[in-house]
Amino acid sequence: MSLSKKKAFKIEPYKHRVELDPKYAERTWSILESAIHEIYNHNASGLSFEELYRNAYNMVLHKYGDKLYAGLVKTMTEHLKDMAKSIETTQGGLFLDELNRYWMEHNKCLQMIRDILMYMDRTYVTNFKKTPVHELGLNLWRDHVVRSPKIKSRLLETLLSFIHRERNGDMINRGLMRNIIKMLMDLGPSVYQEDFEKPFLEVAAGFYKMESQEFIECCDCGDYLKKAEKRLNEEIERVSHYLDSKTEIKITAVVEKEMISSHMNHLVEMENSGLVSMLAYDRYEDLGRMYNLFKRVSPGLALVRDVMTAHLRNMGKQLVTDPERLKDPLEYVRCLLNEKEKYDKIITTSFNNDKSFQNVLNSSFEYFINLNARSPEFISLFVDDKLRKSLKGVTEEDVESLLDKVMMLFRYLQEKDIFEKYYKQHLAKRLLSAKSVSEDAERSLILKLKTECGYQFTSKLESMFLDMKTSKDTMQGFNAMLSSSDICDSPSLSVQVLTTGSWPTQPGTNCNLPREILAICDKFKTYYLSTHTGRRLTWLTNMGTADLKADFGKGQRHELNVSTYQMCVLMLFNAADQMTYKEIELATDIPPVDLKRNLQSLACVKGKNVLQKDPMSREINEDDVFIFNENFSSKFFKVKISTVAAQKENEPEKQETRQKVEEDRKPQIEAAIVRIMKSRRILDHNNIVSEVTKQLQSRFLPSPVVIKKRIESLIEREFLERDTTDRKLYRYLA
Amino acid sequence: MRMPGDIIRLNVGGKLFVTSRTTIENAGSDSMLSAMIGENWRRDCSAASITNEFFIDRNPAYFSVLLDLLRTGELHMPAGMSEKALYREALYYGILDHVRSAKWGMLDGNMLQCTNTVRGHATGDATAIRGAQDGGCCVAHGPMVHVYDWSMEAQIALTLDYVNVNDAGFLNPERVVICTCERGDKTGGMALFNVKRGRLEHKYEVCHGGQYKNCTAGALAINDVSLFASCRGRSNEYGIGCWDQVTGKLTHFLYEGPSWPLGVACKLQWLPHSNMLMVAALYPHSDDSFISFLDMRSNNIAWSWTDAEKPAIGDEKVVMDAVAMDECSTVCVVNQFDNLGFIDTRSNNQGVRWRDHYQPGKISEAEEHSYSKLAVWGSQLFCSKNDSVYVFCTPDLDAARCVQTAKLKKSEGGDISDIAVGGERLFVLHNEENVFDVWETPGSFSTANCF
Repeated sequence: MSLSKKKAFKIEPYKHRVELDPKYAERTWSILESAIHEIYNHNASGLSFEELYRNAYNMVLHKYGDKLYAGLVKTMTEHLKDMAKSIETTQGGLFLDELNRYWMEHNKCLQMIRDILMYMDRTYVTNFKKTPVHELGLNLWRDHVVRSPKIKSRLLETLLSFIHRERNGDMINRGLMRNIIKMLMDLGPSVYQEDFEKPFLEVAAGFYKMESQEFIECCDCGDYLKKAEKRLNEEIERVSHYLDSKTEIKITAVVEKEMISSHMNHLVEMENSGLVSMLAYDRYEDLGRMYNLFKRVSPGLALVRDVMTAHLRNMGKQLVTDPERLKDPLEYVRCLLNEKEKYDKIITTSFNNDKSFQNVLNSSFEYFINLNARSPEFISLFVDDKLRKSLKGVTEEDVESLLDKVMMLFRYLQEKDIFEKYYKQHLAKRLLSAKSVSEDAERSLILKLKTECGYQFTSKLESMFLDMKTSKDTMQGFNAMLSSSDICDSPSLSVQVLTTGSWPTQPGTNCNLPREILAICDKFKTYYLSTHTGRRLTWLTNMGTADLKADFGKGQRHELNVSTYQMCVLMLFNAADQMTYKEIELATDIPPVDLKRNLQSLACVKGKNVLQKDPMSREINEDDVFIFNENFSSKFFKVKISTVAAQKENEPEKQETRQKVEEDRKPQIEAAIVRIMKSRRILDHNNIVSEVTKQLQSRFLPSPVVIKKRIESLIEREFLERDTTDRKLYRYLA
Repeated sequence: MRMPGDIIRLNVGGKLFVTSRTTIENAGSDSMLSAMIGENWRRDCSAASITNEFFIDRNPAYFSVLLDLLRTGELHMPAGMSEKALYREALYYGILDHVRSAKWGMLDGNMLQCTNTVRGHATGDATAIRGAQDGGCCVAHGPMVHVYDWSMEAQIALTLDYVNVNDAGFLNPERVVICTCERGDKTGGMALFNVKRGRLEHKYEVCHGGQYKNCTAGALAINDVSLFASCRGRSNEYGIGCWDQVTGKLTHFLYEGPSWPLGVACKLQWLPHSNMLMVAALYPHSDDSFISFLDMRSNNIAWSWTDAEKPAIGDEKVVMDAVAMDECSTVCVVNQFDNLGFIDTRSNNQGVRWRDHYQPGKISEAEEHSYSKLAVWGSQLFCSKNDSVYVFCTPDLDAARCVQTAKLKKSEGGDISDIAVGGERLFVLHNEENVFDVWETPGSFSTANCF
């Protein structure tokens, strides 16, 4: 269609084409314009949607889309400017209400205008790449209302002051806040972020900086954490009530930074209320709070972990090196178990079972338990004690849990082979003296050791059990044999046949057994060898015990429970009332050291002095004389005469055990080296050391110096050789 | 219980229609009909509450068809009704999308009907046809591009400085990109046109050494965010350009390597499944055939195939068209004897598995021969041969095992010079008389077309 500018050239009557009324566009627009006015003036009830839609349609159809669109922008802008003015003049507190009211109104109007101009939206707007009506309305509102200079700053101030008031405990109209914030978000994420979120975060940072300073000066650590947690929850709640959910991460980051990060070190190290005291006094709730809050900031938990580690190590070191504690191994282990339990509880209740904390706990325990070289011995002693007596009458579950705890300590040990050594000794004693409380408990512990350290570790322990069982069977057979051959007057004999090598026994130094005993022993020997061919029996007289019935002067009759050596000595006094040391030694052939010890226990212990010694001194001399004590008396019928021996090892013995362990380690290290070299053929020194260490870790921690010595020894014996060019390389010689 | 407002009385051009509110609401919230009875204009309703009647100043005959569409989802046009006028009315009521989706459904090669045959106005043979996302299309005739909207109404013809068109494509139904040879700094090249207004909106340029220049654009491919074209610059800058759709600026340019031509490529195809661009440089634009998949993020060639080093065994040579079946990991090719072949794209430089082996020399040289063209839609392959289009479907996404399932043929128009798929429609451009056919699968409800 041609437009009005061509009008001058038209020859009206003959023109067949019907020209639109030149005023058509103006007129149609004025109808639409006044409708928009009516809509904004809440006067739309008189308007006909169909008519307005048709008019807008016609304008677009007749290519007046430009005019329509431009008119819309102009009219809407005018209305929004008016609105902005009346919002600006609102007094005081009603500002937000007014803004919200107008926003709602504008939205409604915009909806209606869009309805009318729907046809334009579909055709003109897409073809000419214009902004659709709804978006246009939002943009205009943003530019002429929200970002008008007077409203923009006032809006921000009002919002922030509302939030400030809420932080100080006042109630505010959250619904209104939500509407206004929603408006900002509707206007696009950039409006929300630029016009509100950014300043909001800045103000929050300032607020919390001040407040945290205030708190830290007047609160102890626990209180401070409580307050920080409260603030954090408040902010999260605020976001959920009336802010964009994306703001949550940002505002919590601000609170975390100001309330936690900046005061982290101070909080942890706070005197009398910091982490160390919380740990010391089991303040589970505070610890849990600290964990949850510190978890939010980046080095937070690491700091807590470090401080806890330092504290643990320090505490542990004191515990294991305290000379008082070393006096009582049982108490020592009990202390360790208590500490472990305490920290386990802290980690489960307060630290959410955090793996990293468990690791720290384990590594700290490992660190300080191994500071004391006697830890393996003590732990074994503890187990020994438990299995000897303390476990009596305890339920199976409790036994299990106790054993599990012990195993946990065992896991921390680096020198597991030392533990094994002691454990073997203690186990042997328990088995031989039949002192073990429960065989189930024993077996259960061995099973645990087996799962922990492998078959090798426990094979000897298991064979000890086997020996005990077969001995029992053998004895039954032997006794049956005896009763059938009716030799009743001989002393009864109980023999435990031990496999050589499985038991921690010193090679038996033989002694002269009394005749009566020797006879039955020989009988047993023939019996045993008749059932087991190809074996050799050696008597370990240093390990046995005997029950003697003895008559004393005043008709007193006692049963004496003595060691085999003591028995041998006492039997001599059946024939003589008095003997010199020399005579005894000659008659019994007991090694002097043992003999002296046994004589001491027979003669020098008060209340148990079956013999009298002349002179009456503690020390035994070569020319001492021993006399049978006619006047011996005791309240008990049974008298146990124990051999004088320390329950704990004495210094030289300890050295000896140590040495034995070192000796035992040598072949293990060598075996490991050979195993490794066999598969690798060529390897350099450092790698060998690290591989060997890895392989043996489960048993002990070999020192590099020792490994080097073993390598040298293997080179001497031509298992390995050094590489001719690179001296650091070793070569396996097969 | 029925509320009084649930029954809507409409007076359309003097004829009374009574329907339910839910029927009107079927039109969707952004339609004129819904807005009219909507909450915003409820006061209008109360004003007319005595009669409870809405007046609409439109032709009742068309409204009756459209109201039926809203009621039933079916489009039934009585004999003699103008389709175009119906579309106009639907646009007025804001329910044009309803009409379109009622007209035809998902493209199914085995259920195609030729619903329209359009005769072009231009003189001379048409060279290429391209489909739009909404079912419209454009046809290139020498320097002109004729655009048809989905109702096959011709739009303003487009031209870029009257230079012969190499390729064209739809950015969206309203925007067409035209690729031509460059004729100096201002003339030819590659440009974006507004279909409705017939105006040039943007000229795409390449950038070499910090300088923006015009360039010759060969083939075109478009994805969601970018458009790609094979380019030949003045100073031997050959390669593939990539432009941002929003800004229209060159985002990157992949220069071709020494023995691997990209700039002369005559076919580009975006592969949405593998996120790559297929570039095919074929005879006669290059002496040998080179097909490659470009990974535009890392700017390298992810897969390639060529027959350059292969001995010429008769029909193996001269690939005339190629199309990638992305989900089947296959590139389909045709040679000059209309033989269809498949190349596996899971490993490099595979041989072609040919489907048929026609003897060369059967074609009489006197006849002007149109070579086969290929088009793909999902796992359906369309291949033109002489005056027919063959439809191939494949089981198990294995293109090489595809079977011919249908043959589409119209008696008039002669040989087929190009085929294209777009907006669930197949377009077939004929060699003679500038005719193209529109094939579509009938909508879920059949349309009674009575011309």
